[in-house]
Amino acid sequence: MHRVIERILNLLAFLLTVGRPVTASEIRNTVAGYDQETDEAFRRTFERDKDLLRQLGVPLHLEHTDAWEVEQGYVVSPDQYSLPDPGLTDEERAALWLATRMVRLGGQAPGPSALFKLGGVPIGATGDPLAADLGAEADALAEVFVAITERRLLKFEYRDQRRTLRPWGLVHRMGHWYVVGEVDKERRTYRVDRMGAIALGDTSGAFDRPKGFRASDGFPDAPWEAGEADVQATVRFDADIAWWARRQLSAAATVAESGDGSVVATLPVANPDAFVGWMIGFEDKAEILGPPELRERFVEHLEAAL
Amino acid sequence: MSSPRTAERLTRILSMLPWVIANPGTTVDEVCARFGYERGDLLKDLNLVFVCGLPGYGPGDLMDAFVDEDEVVVDMADYFARPVRLTAAEALMLLAAGLAVMSSGAAPDALASAVAKLQRVVLPDEGTVEVDLAAEPESLALFRRAATGGEVVAITYTAIGSGETTEREIEPWAVSATLGNWYVTGHCRLAGAERVFRVDRIRDARSTGERFTPPEVPPSPEIRYTPGVDDITVRLELSPGAAWVADYYPVSVVAEDDGRKTVDFSSGDAAMPARLVLRLGASATIVDGREVEQAASSLRERILARYR
Repeated sequence: MHRVIERILNLLAFLLTVGRPVTASEIRNTVAGYDQETDEAFRRTFERDKDLLRQLGVPLHLEHTDAWEVEQGYVVSPDQYSLPDPGLTDEERAALWLATRMVRLGGQAPGPSALFKLGGVPIGATGDPLAADLGAEADALAEVFVAITERRLLKFEYRDQRRTLRPWGLVHRMGHWYVVGEVDKERRTYRVDRMGAIALGDTSGAFDRPKGFRASDGFPDAPWEAGEADVQATVRFDADIAWWARRQLSAAATVAESGDGSVVATLPVANPDAFVGWMIGFEDKAEILGPPELRERFVEHLEAAL
Repeated sequence: MSSPRTAERLTRILSMLPWVIANPGTTVDEVCARFGYERGDLLKDLNLVFVCGLPGYGPGDLMDAFVDEDEVVVDMADYFARPVRLTAAEALMLLAAGLAVMSSGAAPDALASAVAKLQRVVLPDEGTVEVDLAAEPESLALFRRAATGGEVVAITYTAIGSGETTEREIEPWAVSATLGNWYVTGHCRLAGAERVFRVDRIRDARSTGERFTPPEVPPSPEIRYTPGVDDITVRLELSPGAAWVADYYPVSVVAEDDGRKTVDFSSGDAAMPARLVLRLGASATIVDGREVEQAASSLRERILARYR
């Protein structure tokens, strides 16, 4: 391993100081560690090293080496390479470290690399009896995050359709990550774990975020409120589970109590699938009273099961 | 692809160097504590740095990196005076973790200021990334306090399907948020074993004032189901639309073909997988598992009876 590390340190030192794009062959002839015998061996080694640099977060770009645009060379700009100093105190680093210990993303707790970059932290106390699992879509999330921070168009598949979104922000709500943005001048919300074949637009700064935008503004409070449908559902919840249903209803629902302890709630449904799934959680202790189409959809869903 | 260990080691070197450069006179102990080094590993890394530098690679081109008395010295390495910027995944992870803990209401003040500072360097605008854990049920604070202080809590718990209500005394170890719900993990005295309860299904919770001794090794706060010997297993075939189940539940994937997955799902009783099967509708098929199939089909009949 130490040969790789030496070579990478030499390569990075060279790229950060050379001040111009350098071709692969110049790197091969200049930087210590690229003494591979054959072109093919060099190519393989160099490809691996480039991957490794990108994995570390090093912004490695290709640029033309001269005005005639004949050759391309590699550039690492020192400004882009450096982490701007957020000016964290040790107490703040420790608080961040502790937060990362409590939270899981993509099924695992992150390693300490990010904290090392921020100046390291004397690792001490753990053990707050609190933990949160933010779901399991870390790779897709990172891509969406890049699209948002660099203001690139986000292209993806969603329910078998190809979509192009101007991604404004990212929200974690009710156990899922959502990207909020604009398609054809309309505000849209998509669940990140349902997005497939994600690709980013080539140009950064491709759109402007509305001033004062907050990702959670106007964001629905319940999963069945995120979607494109517009239905008012009426549901009866039986007396023995009414307390539990009421805990889950958002402020957008209205609730009427009956004498027997059961309640009838009217609630907005924008995502019938999510609503159907939620209703099944009440087993036979709840009933959709209307509208008839939603009732029918619920019955059809159940009949299609098994 | 290089091994993740190479990347981790390089990140640590490229983070340690700037810190030593910015804090001249720092000691071996301090660098070790801050960057999680064993003394010997730090010396190894410094020796590596010592033989690297700029083309020419003569004494004037290489970096200086060594230990003098107990002081760590790095020189001739100005190009490594700043750490590498965060990758998107790292930045998001830090932010998400910070925001999540802040939204739980359990955050120290230092976390709020740390997140604010971090946002300024990694986010274009405030408000572009937001994290809300599930709304906290009223009793959550009680459980959190009880877990910290080792206090026994009496609960009234209602199982949704059967409607069966039980009174239990539990010794809470930890609370956690997963998939939009809050859970409390601990020792249940009624069951005489470790149990996980969904906090919103706890109808009532009262502190008893009685103390318990928390387990010496705090259990992992994850909500992960560990299959037991009496478990019921169902084998499901999931269409691509239901493939998320494999990520959300502790299933074992037995086959995967063109987006379709076959998984084994184990649980203590048939009710939970039965509800899941009905939720998935046409996007899942039971390949094997009599008990769950029966449970699901009878649950379906009970529900549909209200609609006929």
